[in-house]
Amino acid sequence: MKALTANRLSDGEVVFWKDGTWVERLSEAQVFSDEAGAGEAEASARTQRTVVIDPYLIDLVDSAGFWAPVSYRERIRALGPTNHELHGKQAEGGGAVEALRQAHGAARSSGRVNLIRRK
Amino acid sequence: MYRYDAIDRAVLADRTAEFRDQVRRRLAGELTEDQFKPLRLMNGLYLQLHAYMLRVAVPYGSLNPVQMRALADIARRFDRGYGHFTTRTNIQFNWVKLDDAPDILDALAAVDLHAIQTSGNCIRNVTADPYAGAAADELEDPRVWCEAIRQWSSLHPEFSFLPRKFKIAVTASPHDRTAAKVHDIGLLLRRGRDGETGFEVIVGGGMGRTPYVGPTIRAYLPSDRLFSYLEAILRVYNRHGRRDNIYKARIKILVAALGAEAFAREVEAEWEKIGPEGDLPRAEIDRIGAAFTNPDFVADPASGDFEARRAAEPAFARFVRNNLKAHIRPGYGIVDISLKGIGETPGDISADQMDLVADLAERFGQGDIRSTHEQNLVLPHVRLEHVHEVWKALDAAGLATPNINLISDIIACPGLDYCALANARAICVAQDIARRFETPERAEAIGEFKIKISGCINACGHHHVGHIGILGVDKKGEEFYQLTLGGSGAEDAAVGKMLGPALPIDRVTDAVEAIVDAYLRERREGERFLDTLRRTGDAPFKEAVYAEAH
Amino acid sequence: MPKLIRSTGGVFEEVEDTFVAIEDEAADPGGDILVSFSRLKGGGEALAARSHGRLGVRLEPEDEIEDLEGRLAGVALVALAFPKFRDGRPFTAARLLRTRLGFKGEIRAVGDVLRDQAGFMVRCGFDAFVPADGATASSWAEAAGRHSHVYQRAADARAPAFVERQGE
Ligand code: HEM
Ligand code: SF4
Repeated sequence: MKALTANRLSDGEVVFWKDGTWVERLSEAQVFSDEAGAGEAEASARTQRTVVIDPYLIDLVDSAGFWAPVSYRERIRALGPTNHELHGKQAEGGGAVEALRQAHGAARSSGRVNLIRRK
Repeated sequence: MYRYDAIDRAVLADRTAEFRDQVRRRLAGELTEDQFKPLRLMNGLYLQLHAYMLRVAVPYGSLNPVQMRALADIARRFDRGYGHFTTRTNIQFNWVKLDDAPDILDALAAVDLHAIQTSGNCIRNVTADPYAGAAADELEDPRVWCEAIRQWSSLHPEFSFLPRKFKIAVTASPHDRTAAKVHDIGLLLRRGRDGETGFEVIVGGGMGRTPYVGPTIRAYLPSDRLFSYLEAILRVYNRHGRRDNIYKARIKILVAALGAEAFAREVEAEWEKIGPEGDLPRAEIDRIGAAFTNPDFVADPASGDFEARRAAEPAFARFVRNNLKAHIRPGYGIVDISLKGIGETPGDISADQMDLVADLAERFGQGDIRSTHEQNLVLPHVRLEHVHEVWKALDAAGLATPNINLISDIIACPGLDYCALANARAICVAQDIARRFETPERAEAIGEFKIKISGCINACGHHHVGHIGILGVDKKGEEFYQLTLGGSGAEDAAVGKMLGPALPIDRVTDAVEAIVDAYLRERREGERFLDTLRRTGDAPFKEAVYAEAH
Repeated sequence: MPKLIRSTGGVFEEVEDTFVAIEDEAADPGGDILVSFSRLKGGGEALAARSHGRLGVRLEPEDEIEDLEGRLAGVALVALAFPKFRDGRPFTAARLLRTRLGFKGEIRAVGDVLRDQAGFMVRCGFDAFVPADGATASSWAEAAGRHSHVYQRAADARAPAFVERQGE
């Protein structure tokens, strides 16, 4: 499973793709089960040059019934910094945030699809 | 302190207007991200993991109370109520919006601050001795030269698109508190035989992927020839530094490839051609210098009940032992403010704490505040009779941790909690180690001990020059940490040596403790950790960390 | 046709580019021609002796500007290439060409030339620009004139702050 993420141009906020627009919570993101759909969304996101910066796909795994990024780096993006539990998206708490905190997976380099190609 | 005149202010105003226009062009789609990125970077605006980050220059680590309050105000209005002091003595705001950035720059310009050249391949903020103008062992106030360099390097038409970033440090004390030897240029002020002052010029130190302690390319440069000489160095670098590979683009690679002597010859030949035409007139140096003569010192002020309280209050005595340094004038002291509270994020400071520091500087510190490359603050001129009151106020705000230069005075970069380039976190590692050595008696018994942590090989956390350096690496998708021993960023600068295989995150603090215990076993009378290590080699420490793992 | 902006006495105007770039092996078509540095080095005398049309030479960042010494007779234009706008070598080349080699002809910025560098370029001695970002003569002039004060000496005649201050 994959999701599409980026930072919003106007404020840098981490955002996720949902049917052509962007949402701030991973739990509301569109989840892709097929390569083709994900690729199409990515291509379309890339044309939104005044809305987001640098959209890319990330791999997801199941965690406590929610989707969580495989990559540790992406989990930090979806939550906020671990040294300030009230900063970033994690501040609102709840099941989806807990599930992200509990998730296990790889650290930085894996789970960001096409990281190497993009460099 | 230097005060901006109308010209300095006009430069800032023109620059912020330019950036406002660039932001507008970006938001309107007239600039692509590829075109805009270098422009925002030259104004200190990065994109991090969670938001934009704005890096504000603290020129040579010097702030006045009005500026500090303005930073607090920005932290409240545009960020989440805090800022982060860096190893480059700058301050970063982690939650900035692009829309707001022009307004923030205006707010900064109103108090003569800016974010110009805090990123990009240009000459960055100059590092100065944080005790400048106060240190008992200082030859002359290095800030005069730092301010002159700030002006000369600002919006330099020829040197704003160098092969890579460029960092200069200036110090005038035999004890180097700037890490001069791991800068692109280190300038060590010396007194010449004629009684005039000049600089020993070190070029090509650096950290990052390939750390070097820079070689001296000129033992003595008369200070009035500084600017033509800097121009010569920068020109040789701009023309010949590598541009094909960003990891080989720093001047250290050029110096190492040519050899220090051949590099020096190139510089001298170019310097010859430039001639004194490239120097700053004496009148301008004098004008700047006049701003740094401290007017408010009292001759031999009373020290009040300083000694009595020190004898009676052990906690105060501990603060004095660790956080108060000798001042050049009798009756004064230099107060180190620790931004390394146990369990806190190294270098972080809240808006309220900023206001408090501003108040204390105003009431007791001649309005002078410094930031250090070890991510702490300094009140350089406090009368001894006021130190107790300053300490109490700092203590109440969590700013009086008596740990300067001790094991919990840890440098850590933002790492994976904020930084888009990170492999691993750095902050939580620092917090965990600090908690382990929380007991002040134990920390003092261990003595001077510098732990420096970076979340990736870029080495923003100076790990190469940590007594223990800790580098985050990504090993099969997990956060791992590579330990190095024996680095130093001081006058005995050295790059640390790798101790052994990288460790998982939950073994790092134990490993540090094992190293400390081995040191306490091995050390002889009067030895710092570094001295013991240099005598014994790393075998006992390797043994201590890796033995039980076999 | 890419736009050419030229500054004459501080006035920026869009002008027609009369120079035609010619390949190293191609015959001299006459008129104003722009040749590579190696062609200039190779065919220096014949080129300098041309009576029909003016001569321009294009340098890449890795070319040593000093090698133009003694070869500037008859050269009306030196074009300095920015393969990427981040490549700062042409700034040094232009400055030395003006101040050390005493070149009085046109120094033209070509390649990845953006208005955000206009001020630096003018200060280093460039007086003609082929912008890659669609800048017009007026937006170029605005960018070049953005700063009312400067801190350093360069190849232009502007008084740096330390000179302005002496007059106070
Ligand atoms: C947005 C976050 C940051 C990014 C993207 C970043 C990026 C980098 C990079 C790429 C390098 C290596 C440059 C080279 O060697 O060519 C570097 C070096 C360095 N940075 Fe950072 N940095 C960041 C934050 C910081 C912070 C927070 C500090 C201070 C705590 C800092 C201080 C330094 C220092 C001291 C060096 C190494 C010294 C040197 O060789 O110049 N940086 N940084
Ligand atoms: S060392 Fe690496 S992780 Fe740390 S701030 Fe620098 S670039 Fe980021």
